[in-house]
Amino acid sequence: MAELFQHIINGISVGAIYALIALGYTMVYGVLKLINFAHGDVFMVGAMVGWYVARWTGESQSPSIGGALLIALAAMLVCGTLGFVIERLAYRPLRNSPRLNSLITAIGVSFFLEYGGQYLFGPNPRLFSVLPRQAGLHVGPVSLGYVDVVTLVVSVALMIALQRIVYHTKIGTAMRAVSFNSNVAALMGVNIDLVISFTFVLGSVLAAVAGILYASKYPTVQPLMGLMPGLKAFVAAVLGGIGNVPGAMLGGLVLGLAEQIVSGYVSSTWRDAVAFGILILVLLVRPTGLLGRGEAEKV
Amino acid sequence: MAGLFGGSALAPARRALLSWLPFVAAIPLLWVVQRTLAEQPDWEYAFQNINHIGIAIILAVSLNLVNGLTGQFSIGHAGFMAVGGYVSAVLLMRGPAQDPYRLFFIASIAAGAGAAALAGWLVGKPSLRLRGDYLAIVTLGFGEIIRVIIENTPLFGRAIGLSPIPRYADFTWIYTAAIATILVSKRLRDSTHGRAFLSVREDEVAAEAMGVDTTGYKVRAFVISAGMAGVAGALSGSFEGNLSPQSFTFVRSFEVVAMVVLGGMGSITGSTIAAAVLTLLPEYLRAVANLRMVIYSVALIVLMLVRPRGLFGTREAWELFPWRKRRGAPRAVELTEALIDVRHATIRFGGLTAVADFSLQVKPRELVALIGPNGAGKTTVFNLLTGVYPPTEGVILVAGRDTRGLSPHDIAHLGLARTFQNIRLFRELSAFDNVRLGCHHLTRESMGAAVRHGQLSLVEEEWVAKRSDELLSIMGLLHRRDEIAKNLPYGEQRRLEIARALATGPKALLLDEPAAGTNQKEKTELMQLIRGIRDRFGVAIVLIEHDMKLVMGVSERILVLDHGVTIAQGLPREIQTNPRVIEAYLGEKYAREHAGQIAAGQVQP
Repeated sequence: MAELFQHIINGISVGAIYALIALGYTMVYGVLKLINFAHGDVFMVGAMVGWYVARWTGESQSPSIGGALLIALAAMLVCGTLGFVIERLAYRPLRNSPRLNSLITAIGVSFFLEYGGQYLFGPNPRLFSVLPRQAGLHVGPVSLGYVDVVTLVVSVALMIALQRIVYHTKIGTAMRAVSFNSNVAALMGVNIDLVISFTFVLGSVLAAVAGILYASKYPTVQPLMGLMPGLKAFVAAVLGGIGNVPGAMLGGLVLGLAEQIVSGYVSSTWRDAVAFGILILVLLVRPTGLLGRGEAEKV
Repeated sequence: MAGLFGGSALAPARRALLSWLPFVAAIPLLWVVQRTLAEQPDWEYAFQNINHIGIAIILAVSLNLVNGLTGQFSIGHAGFMAVGGYVSAVLLMRGPAQDPYRLFFIASIAAGAGAAALAGWLVGKPSLRLRGDYLAIVTLGFGEIIRVIIENTPLFGRAIGLSPIPRYADFTWIYTAAIATILVSKRLRDSTHGRAFLSVREDEVAAEAMGVDTTGYKVRAFVISAGMAGVAGALSGSFEGNLSPQSFTFVRSFEVVAMVVLGGMGSITGSTIAAAVLTLLPEYLRAVANLRMVIYSVALIVLMLVRPRGLFGTREAWELFPWRKRRGAPRAVELTEALIDVRHATIRFGGLTAVADFSLQVKPRELVALIGPNGAGKTTVFNLLTGVYPPTEGVILVAGRDTRGLSPHDIAHLGLARTFQNIRLFRELSAFDNVRLGCHHLTRESMGAAVRHGQLSLVEEEWVAKRSDELLSIMGLLHRRDEIAKNLPYGEQRRLEIARALATGPKALLLDEPAAGTNQKEKTELMQLIRGIRDRFGVAIVLIEHDMKLVMGVSERILVLDHGVTIAQGLPREIQTNPRVIEAYLGEKYAREHAGQIAAGQVQP
């Protein structure tokens, strides 16, 4: 029983990170109908920026809460800018061409970040420690790592903040309007370009935080670290209903739990297959995802 | 070609074989290149690249079927390649040590292709019914799952891979397969199926409205493409001598996608050329090894931004030369209103000319009678029209199509249905089943669907039953529905034959003496019924009848045959007073003796 609880705790912790990444996918998909394959690599860049800043400020030797905050802010700033630049240079010129082209470009950007990262950073993983080393909580036989606690607190806080932005602010309303019908939104005076840029920045900022949390959990950084979490977060977004913000959160948690339980009770080598197994199952049974609404195409 | 094999039933098969001749002839040529160049040590490195290009061509051209022609987005091609490669490698490594004729090699490639196609079906069937980018995600996931499975299966050598695989694949094999892939996909594209693929890419809703089974075509394109990727995997494994899961990552899949997009979506030559360029490019970037992939990805992004339609767009390389004459350019066509258009048809059996220089045009909804004494060749005309006999000379067009070389069932598909002079019902089947059989060519359910009671099969069965009951009711046979056909009275058997012919949904109905063997009253009723059928179903009717009086009232035009020669043609009134007709029916002597009365219109045959 304790083992199960332990798996659930770990699952929620990983799931929360997936959820943070998935939010970026789902918001971009919502407004642009584009699978932003580079999103997982923005996540990687976030972790990498964290590593560089930590080395520069010396935080990696003696991590402190304030230092961690500074690192997170730096990563958010860089990733936010990166997200803005990617959209501006690679996606905006293709907004009216076939979606396949944007997808290819997205994959191209993803490769650029991965291999560019490899060029600058080197292909080998490096130790990542920006959070203060502290003991976690112990509730009976179940242990809750310090990183897990931070992850949970930070992600819940960010998700609440995002929920506020999307549903209770002017720009959030504009985002939802663009996602519903960008042409009509434009006619109503919504500045589409601004909304799309904002969406990319918002998603990238969340990915930066997720990158730092993820790198702290495993504690390493390497240029290809965004690939798998990125793909899985995308699966989480589809599972929750692509384009649906609460769905991405739910999907991330479900996926994290399923993965931990399979690797705990079956074999950790099959862990990566779980996500895609779930994906195929979802598409078979409920293609709109857990919280997605079916949309009939107007003829 | 038609002249060479004219009329021979083998002609289509021979034509098809001949069209593959250049391909078959190319194989020895490849082999010569192989012996003279590829096996020279100086050329080893060059041919290694050339062979890599060959495999890339198979991958790119096959993916072009899905991503380019059908407009779906698969990014898991490497997964199917892996399935084909591993299945064939496992077989090859356990196969006979000696394989002098490479039969086992061919079998292993086929097995690999089959396994990959099956995997394609399993992946495509659930995901292709959805619109949008789902296929991209599923294929991506599939590619990853395949890798995880391989890395966890001892049979596949886990993460280390399989080695040594017998190295049978060489230049000849790879390029034979590459050319075959190109030919198959070109021919598919130029066919009605290729247009169906394109229609899915352009607008799925409109395609469905045109009767294209969009999901079916997507799955077909996907399965074919996966099978071809399996061939590429099998060849690649046997060429390299080893396989490892690291060769089938997402990056590999993506390279193939990049080839298709770079070449231009749907362009086969584009995919081929892009496959060569993108295979060689990394070789030339070897000098800057560290930055190789960075340059590659930037080049790709720039290309997408600058030339979003790829190098060739949707065109083929040769279409870039406008001065080259286009085949199949618009040509003047003769517009014909005729549903059936027979031009100077002649048929000889040995020395006997059964029908000579016969011409007949039947317009839609027209009711034409074909009359003449016994042995005049009336039924032979029907046999010519329905393709039972090919004409010795002349042309027969049905619905504007030349029917030479078509079998009777093809002609039935064109919209020609007939009855037989000596009733040919399915004697032991019920009246209902006879009519239902007439609906056969209108249904599209597959045997598979019939077995598993698919949706289409149930809907169609219901529709066929309803349609058959309607037809039985129109022909006044509903009370005989479940009786065995041979037990029906003679007149009803004739009507059942008409019902069966109508069930095929014809444009023209050929009735061969429908009134034979019935009494005068029944005959008159039958003629009314025939007219009613014409009005109700809007079909043209060609009626063979012996009894001239009978057809006078019902037909709009009459054609008279005697000894295979058309002796008169025209409106019923004109035929009645035509001396040659009277002579044919009443004899030469009678015609001469009563010449005066005939001229005055007092004698009628």
